[in-house]
Amino acid sequence: MNRRELFTSLLRSSAQRQSIDGPPRVTATGVEPYTSPLTLDEVYHLLRRLGFGATVQQAAGYVGKTADVVVEELLGTNSELEPAKPGAWVDATTENPAGADLQTRGSIWSAWRSNMAAFSNWWLKSMAADTKAVERIASFWNAHFISEFAFDSETMIPPQSLYRQYLTFRKDRLADFKQLVLDVSVDNSMVFYLGSYQNKVGKPNENYARELMELFTTGIGWYTEGDVKEAARVLTGWKSSFFNDEPANNGYYSSYFVPTDHDAGQKTVLGTSIPARTADNNTEYQVKMEEVLKLVDIIHEARPEAVSRFIATKLYKFFVYASPIDTNTQFVEDVAKVFRDNNFNIRPMLKAMFTSTHFFDPALRGAQIKTPIECVAGLMRQLGVTVNDGATWTGKMDQTIYDAPNVAGWPGYHYWISTNTYPVRRQFARTVITAMTDAQVTTFIKQFPDYTDVHKFTKNVCAYLLPLALSGDRYKNYENTLLSGAPDYDWPSIVNDQATAAARVRNFLVAISKAPDFQLC
Amino acid sequence: MKRRNFLKTTAAAAVGTQVLGGIPLRAFSPVQLLNTLNADGDQILIVIQLFGGNDGLNTIIPADDSAYYDIRPEIAVPKDKTVPVLGKIYMHPALDPKNTYNFRRMMEDGRLAVIQGVGYENPNLSHFRSTDIWLSGLNPKPWEDTKLIYGWLGEFFAKTSPGFPDVLPPDPIAVQIGGSLSMLFQSPKGDVGIALTDPDKFFELGQGLSPDMDPMPDTTFYGKEFNFVRLVAEKSDFYSASVKAAFDKGKNMATYDQTNGFVRQMQLVARLISGGLKSKVYMVYMGGFDTHVQQQNVDLTGLHPFLLESLSKGVGTFMQDMLLQGQAERIVGYTASEFGRRPYENGSRGTDHGASSVQFVFGNRVRSGVFGNNPDLKNLDGNGDVRYQYDFRRVYADVMETWFGGSAADTEAIFGERVLPLGVLTNPVSVQDAYAGNVPVNISVRAYPNPTASMATLEWQQSVPASVSVELYSTEGRYVERVFSGSVDAGTVRMPIKATASGVYECVVTVNGLRNVVPVAFLR
Repeated sequence: MNRRELFTSLLRSSAQRQSIDGPPRVTATGVEPYTSPLTLDEVYHLLRRLGFGATVQQAAGYVGKTADVVVEELLGTNSELEPAKPGAWVDATTENPAGADLQTRGSIWSAWRSNMAAFSNWWLKSMAADTKAVERIASFWNAHFISEFAFDSETMIPPQSLYRQYLTFRKDRLADFKQLVLDVSVDNSMVFYLGSYQNKVGKPNENYARELMELFTTGIGWYTEGDVKEAARVLTGWKSSFFNDEPANNGYYSSYFVPTDHDAGQKTVLGTSIPARTADNNTEYQVKMEEVLKLVDIIHEARPEAVSRFIATKLYKFFVYASPIDTNTQFVEDVAKVFRDNNFNIRPMLKAMFTSTHFFDPALRGAQIKTPIECVAGLMRQLGVTVNDGATWTGKMDQTIYDAPNVAGWPGYHYWISTNTYPVRRQFARTVITAMTDAQVTTFIKQFPDYTDVHKFTKNVCAYLLPLALSGDRYKNYENTLLSGAPDYDWPSIVNDQATAAARVRNFLVAISKAPDFQLC
Repeated sequence: MKRRNFLKTTAAAAVGTQVLGGIPLRAFSPVQLLNTLNADGDQILIVIQLFGGNDGLNTIIPADDSAYYDIRPEIAVPKDKTVPVLGKIYMHPALDPKNTYNFRRMMEDGRLAVIQGVGYENPNLSHFRSTDIWLSGLNPKPWEDTKLIYGWLGEFFAKTSPGFPDVLPPDPIAVQIGGSLSMLFQSPKGDVGIALTDPDKFFELGQGLSPDMDPMPDTTFYGKEFNFVRLVAEKSDFYSASVKAAFDKGKNMATYDQTNGFVRQMQLVARLISGGLKSKVYMVYMGGFDTHVQQQNVDLTGLHPFLLESLSKGVGTFMQDMLLQGQAERIVGYTASEFGRRPYENGSRGTDHGASSVQFVFGNRVRSGVFGNNPDLKNLDGNGDVRYQYDFRRVYADVMETWFGGSAADTEAIFGERVLPLGVLTNPVSVQDAYAGNVPVNISVRAYPNPTASMATLEWQQSVPASVSVELYSTEGRYVERVFSGSVDAGTVRMPIKATASGVYECVVTVNGLRNVVPVAFLR
């Protein structure tokens, strides 16, 4: 053996040693179903990812059932009931600020701002109250197909219009992905946000056409600049309708079509042609079905692997593990294949993902950093409290609802936690916990079985709020907070003294919220 | 024992509670003091990120080119409305706001360089990919499979800061104003900076946030993320104190426009520098450059002019402040935007995504002037976009090698290829070469015949024996080939060179670490 061989053999053996005490191997890399009855920890895990955390009662109902049964129930039907409206303003028309004097304009904008805040706070509460995964999945599509309430310094989309987009995400959340893409492409807010309303025959605006492929379907690299230009021609002619001085051909807050702005010529996208049309065939319905839907179909037919992989990867990062270098490509390939094999229906893909052995692999527990929305909706749900200004908090944590930094959405993963946002997360938890009334804390305590046993109570609450079992002295330290110097056999009497128990448990919850793993799920 | 744990234990055993500038460090903290990082200089870099793609053609106006007016009937800036500067360029009037120090005055005072045609090969017209390319300094091919997740400055400081990441310096290496910490500051060993919005608020919320629990083994996904959060918590606690101390001690001597968010962010940077924060890099972010629709009104006001005015005013007031406080020698800065805009305006009084664009570099140590030519609007690329003249990493290479004392090897390691520093910064001696005992040798290189049909000779006088390399780069600044490398005796040196293909090359003669650049044209 020469020196070089010796050196490389040493390297190899140290690499092997590394892998022995390296990350626990993800043993299941495909979508084979996980069939064991779920344990409490597994139910918690599932509901942290496919929801905003379990309640104790909800989890108890799922323990012992299979993932197949539980996931089926959480996904719900394709058409869950529409929620009660966030306010009467969602159906009110709004004046056009463009022509108004300064004072009127200011009051229109301030009404929009307060309605937008009301909508966001309302949505966070709906998430916290959701016993299924409806809002959770809607929030995924909301983070995928971005529209912004406020952009370009003084441009805003009326919240009425964004509320309707949200209802579309809800309605289409499990459906045919191509239908969802079509609906988004002619969505009133989207037509405005990505400049389609300015996209006219002879004066194309490429903005939506590019993002349709780059950010919403194939991902970057699967089309040429020529395809972007041709797709922009397909998408000409759409307008948004917001204001009571505008035409509202389909009612306010719905897009409409102006035939003379549509480019009726032949287009070729990704090698497939969309034929030219005559003036008497240039109607909204015909262009939508024969051109916009055709464009969506062409993208899916020409680039099925790209679309399915792109969406499966995004789902993986959102629901399983966000680290860009740790995406399990084998699993993503399998999920993408399920998506393709089901003609781009969303539901079978989600089902396969959340009932897989991979999803339940212990190596993936507690690896996800909570998004600000998860922090706020999750804490409300798990503590059984209501936060009325939740959207202000998510905003301070860098996630203003309907106001992502740009059309690519929130960068996520480590970008969620910075020296700007981490202190706010801590402040939020402390504020919510210390505001709990004695009665609320009592309800919280008594939902846990064996709450009169301080050891079991500590462990149960930790398992409920933190993703993995704790190491070292942490349980002991938390017990000390609860007992505050008293012996453990005094706990049953402490816990039955409402005011004392509430004070101790608040301190205990604040202590838990200081731990780094409180930010993980 | 892992290094991290070793440090933690020794710190706890040896010092109990340390005091740094009056701020006690908790004994169990693995954060250790590092005094050497800033020993080699106190240079500061300001990075101004213009997100959305700045329209270079409506920033520095090619007012003598009729093609510009042909392709921009609605949004061109008429020549008589532009601001001519030193007879070299025409600025958009928004870059010359009244009653403030600004880009026009900085250029006249020798504090601003304008670099035309900055971009890269095969331009990517996605905001996100192109921003990632600019922040990472990498443009890999085939790029579809390559994730760009680390920044070139993150890599540079992770590489050159002793003890990183187990040892945190007393002040953050990089400070980003607002938002989440940019990819620019990410490295495989963790990030090198903090994100900061309001020092008072940061202090109020950050104090006491260090978790009272140890790091976990890094060997699981859970452990990795636990430690990441834990470190941010610790940094929030630790740096909220040092930032607050600098903020309270610092002052502003110029008058900043309080109605402008970007200008106020520049004011905060000035105050932190004034207060003695030892950070090496400050990043300020400005969005809104994605001007597809109505970018400019008929009277030359509107979205894009507002952004240009903010930029010029913010940087100008900041430089004035630093001059008044005697800090200007320490500061250089650059602007970066992911691309320029399409030369042809679209139908919405806006412009779609384009390719190369203009870059500004500012500071007292800048070789002021104009680099490159106005874009050639008669010779656009296949997509109708402006061809690039300079590789976007040439300024980065200057920053690393000239400003922060890195070596050409650092540059090559980070970019995966050699990139010729642009020469826009004037601090000529590499600190590392000086440490290595290489005495720089000043020479003057002559090339003849130039242009040449086949072969040229490089000639220079060398007073001492030295280590010499001769390399050819493209005019954009990318490495082509090495012609010679070795020791050369004192005396008159003559070195024949030839190129394999026709074109102009930058011949780079490096003598004991000091570069000399001579352009040579091969016409065959």
